[in-house]
Amino acid sequence: MNKTVIETRALRKHIPASGEKNTDRRDLLILQDINLTVQAGESVAITGTSGSGKSTLLGLLAGLDTPSGGELRLLGRDIAQQDEDQRAEIRLGKVGFVFQSFHLLDNLTALENVMLPLELASGQRAIRTLAEAALTQVGLAERMQHLVNRLSGGEQQRVALARAFVTRPQVLFADEPTGNLDKTTGKEVADRLFSLQKEQATTLVLVTHDETLAARCDNWYRLDAGVLTAEKIAEVA
Amino acid sequence: MSVHSPETNPAAESANGFMTRLGVFALQWRRRWRLSEMRLLFVALLVSVVAVSSVGFFTDRVDRAMSKQASRILGGDLVLSSSRPLAQDYRDQAREAGVTQAESIALTSMAAKGDELQISRVKAVSGQYPLQGELEVASALDAPGQPVAGLPASGEVWAEARLFTTLNVQPGDSIQLGRQSFTLSRVLTKDPARGTNLFQMAPQVIMNLADLAATGLLSPASRAGFDLMFTGSDGAINDLRAALKPRLKPTEQIRSLDDGVPTVQQALQRAGRFLGLAALLSVVLAGAAIALTAASLVRHEMRAVAVLKAFGLPRRTILWDYLLNLWVVALLAALLGLLLGFVLQFLLAGWLARFVDISLPAPGSWPLVTGLLTALIMVTGFALPYLLRLVDTSPMRILQGAMQGQNQVFWLVSAGIVPAVFGLLWLQAGDSLLALWLFGGIVLALLVFWLVATLFLRGVARLSLRPGWEWLALVRHSRRSALLVVVFATGLFTLLLLTVLRTDLIGRWQATLPDNAPNYFLINIQPQEVDEVRAFLTQRAIEADLYPMIRGRLTQINGQPVSSADYEDPGSKRLLQREFNLSSFADFPATNVLLAGEWFDGQSTAGFSIERGVGEELGFGLGDSLTFDIAGLPYQETITSIREVSWDSMAPNFFVVAAPGAFADKPQTFITSLYIDPAQTRTVPALIRQFPGVTAIDTGAIVAQIRSLIDQATFAVQGIFVFTLITGVIVLLAALQSQKAERRREIAVLKSLGAVHSTLKKRIWLEFVLLGGLAGLLAALFTLLASNLLGYYLFELEVALNLWIVLAGVIGGAALVSGAAWFNLRGLLEITPVALLKG
Repeated sequence: MNKTVIETRALRKHIPASGEKNTDRRDLLILQDINLTVQAGESVAITGTSGSGKSTLLGLLAGLDTPSGGELRLLGRDIAQQDEDQRAEIRLGKVGFVFQSFHLLDNLTALENVMLPLELASGQRAIRTLAEAALTQVGLAERMQHLVNRLSGGEQQRVALARAFVTRPQVLFADEPTGNLDKTTGKEVADRLFSLQKEQATTLVLVTHDETLAARCDNWYRLDAGVLTAEKIAEVA
Repeated sequence: MSVHSPETNPAAESANGFMTRLGVFALQWRRRWRLSEMRLLFVALLVSVVAVSSVGFFTDRVDRAMSKQASRILGGDLVLSSSRPLAQDYRDQAREAGVTQAESIALTSMAAKGDELQISRVKAVSGQYPLQGELEVASALDAPGQPVAGLPASGEVWAEARLFTTLNVQPGDSIQLGRQSFTLSRVLTKDPARGTNLFQMAPQVIMNLADLAATGLLSPASRAGFDLMFTGSDGAINDLRAALKPRLKPTEQIRSLDDGVPTVQQALQRAGRFLGLAALLSVVLAGAAIALTAASLVRHEMRAVAVLKAFGLPRRTILWDYLLNLWVVALLAALLGLLLGFVLQFLLAGWLARFVDISLPAPGSWPLVTGLLTALIMVTGFALPYLLRLVDTSPMRILQGAMQGQNQVFWLVSAGIVPAVFGLLWLQAGDSLLALWLFGGIVLALLVFWLVATLFLRGVARLSLRPGWEWLALVRHSRRSALLVVVFATGLFTLLLLTVLRTDLIGRWQATLPDNAPNYFLINIQPQEVDEVRAFLTQRAIEADLYPMIRGRLTQINGQPVSSADYEDPGSKRLLQREFNLSSFADFPATNVLLAGEWFDGQSTAGFSIERGVGEELGFGLGDSLTFDIAGLPYQETITSIREVSWDSMAPNFFVVAAPGAFADKPQTFITSLYIDPAQTRTVPALIRQFPGVTAIDTGAIVAQIRSLIDQATFAVQGIFVFTLITGVIVLLAALQSQKAERRREIAVLKSLGAVHSTLKKRIWLEFVLLGGLAGLLAALFTLLASNLLGYYLFELEVALNLWIVLAGVIGGAALVSGAAWFNLRGLLEITPVALLKG
């Protein structure tokens, strides 16, 4: 019953030589020949040093950016060949995000932020109830009507988790989800992330510096100078 | 700003410090200039300086041209008048004060040629007359007048054409004035100091003062007017006035330019007020743009300041660096703005000169000062509060982006914006009471806008949480949306207000003087001539209403005797010293407005209708009774209505009108005003020949003068309106720009969540149509209120409830705001959400 959710073949990304800062007039290669397959319900971690291309790869996998070459399929669709709107439609209601800097909309309440993806995906019913349930699930039942810029970092990231999971997405992309949080808060957010992922059987692609976090995933890949290699997963208690 | 370690050797710093600072400043300048906020700030400052300075230069020149014109009509900058000969002391005093003087003695006398006699006004004048402007004379009756230097030679006089017609003489003939015979050498076509008294019936004769004694016309018993006219620098004139005033005898009176505005200039005065108001509003609007831009600039600079503070740079250094930067921007904007404003007003004046016969004096220097001050006040007042907040926040808080403290709003407002707005208003209005009123109005408008917008948007946000209403979710950012509504509403309010006032003003001016505005007055028509005069006019297809004119002296109010001694005010005294021109007729004059009471119906035979001003001046109103002495008999009636009279309408106007037929048995003459096509040169001479007793007064010159002033005013009003429009658009863009960073992130998040191009496009349009419509509605409602208040108190316009403004406000607001928003934000739709992954 395993189904492939993400599949790449010889995926490449480079920045053309005309770039302002690229003085040696050669293309800057960021990702080379990435081959990756992610099955439904699987959790995958990608680690690497700063500048190794982690975020670029995540952006490509999620269809936020376009590759320079190779094949890329997301949820069964060849998104390398699609325009921005077509890629957005694939994401709508089926793909969730958690960002390092949360990227919640200031001046909206926690509840309003969580309602946003449901409102965008037309045909949703009981939007408010679903959003309230999602917030309750991340332990923010008491803070729903608070403006998000009044919440602590941990609380903001929990709102972001609620926003990501409220549409019950098939895939969740997480970019350093605990990067801006202290160790305790980070662990709490990570626990919730994995528990929601398990509960909803969501496919998770996680980019992180944090090897402890990476070790909690089913598969772990390391990205080094644009080259992706598989990492052996240590047993986690 | 120099980033240096605190341990730097002071001596080394003094050697290198300046250059380092200069270099770092230049670097910072280049960096900041790349920010769109800085460029927007520059444009906002530029537009406001151009508006303020071009209006300043222009109105300054027009003002001085008007004063010059007014002093011509007066005969000098200061005139000392008396019914008795004036003491030699006054002349000596004026000589000491260093002012130029001239003298005239005017009296009424009979001019004779054989058996023909004509009452004329003889004016004997001394060497320097007229002090302002020139006399114009013609060598033949049908020849055009030419300016002439000097006065009639001894033994010669110049007279107006009417004297030639009635005495049937030609230039070169001689006439008798008193004991002396004079050669009537020239036709007098213009005497700048003739005065605007249209009812001066007798033709004027000008002679040299030296000849007056020989005529024997002036005796201790003669009724004559003695005038000493002075002209000189403002200082000398003010000193002279101050010196003369305490010494005046009861029969003597000083008149100067400040003592009342000729009706001719009302139009320009209103235009001046409108221009001032428009410039003021565009400055306030530009101020709003600057405040918004500064807020946005501060957000941009947060990290930079945090880093500098973390490096140990003191607050003061950072603050000074930013202030210096802003002042340089303000200075550049001011210099360029002044230059543009100067050029622009020259173009305006040059263009105007092709249409209007008015020569403007050279521009003064005061607008340079106001232009520069405006830029500095604006940038300091509107940006400083934000800078203070920026440098006052700890580096940690800045790095965390937590700068939301709401309790700082009031502090912020009071720290810079309040004094800045008030200072600008005062600088522009030049009147602290008016500035205070305007300031109060602006604050009230902003508060109401804010309150209504917040309540409305909260309601919408609540509604959007209900199933089926989610589409309203896009205005959920209630604070951000409320700010936009307030800014948009303020901008739209300014535009609507000026549109309404402009349309009303111009419409009213043009209605005041249609193409066929009366250019002649006929006076002294005897009752038995009325039918024949009517027939004469009808035959030539000339329309005219003839009004009876009865002279009466006001003797009692509510049965109590009154005299000039009962009043302090010289104007009130004069009203009681002279006879009123009374009239009686059935049709309400088209150019008047009924303020209170009721006009005479078909059956009324009793009652008086009075002009508002005379009632206020002498202290009577509806229900009071007035008694006039008409030809020695008292005539009493109760006041039944009060009218507003348009004195510049060129139609006969009366302070007091009685019911039709009320004066049938009183001695009276008739008066009318009419339009005679200037091409019909024979009409007036034919009329005078047929009715020798009737006097025709040519008011064409005055009409032309008023018309040219109106053209000038209309043009200037249109010009300044364009400035305000530009400023309004800049404010819209500044408001949008100030939220652009937030919107960029928002659009990226929405895209990452799967929003497609068309969804985002729809959201932007719908959001701004809603916000623009709401702002337009608020602006329109406030415009209705303010235009009526301003129209009534400043421009003497009638109160009107134009509901189309509401419709125009809502539709215009929605269209303008959504259009501007789309123009400003459409680029953001091209953003790829991958930017979100960079943290």
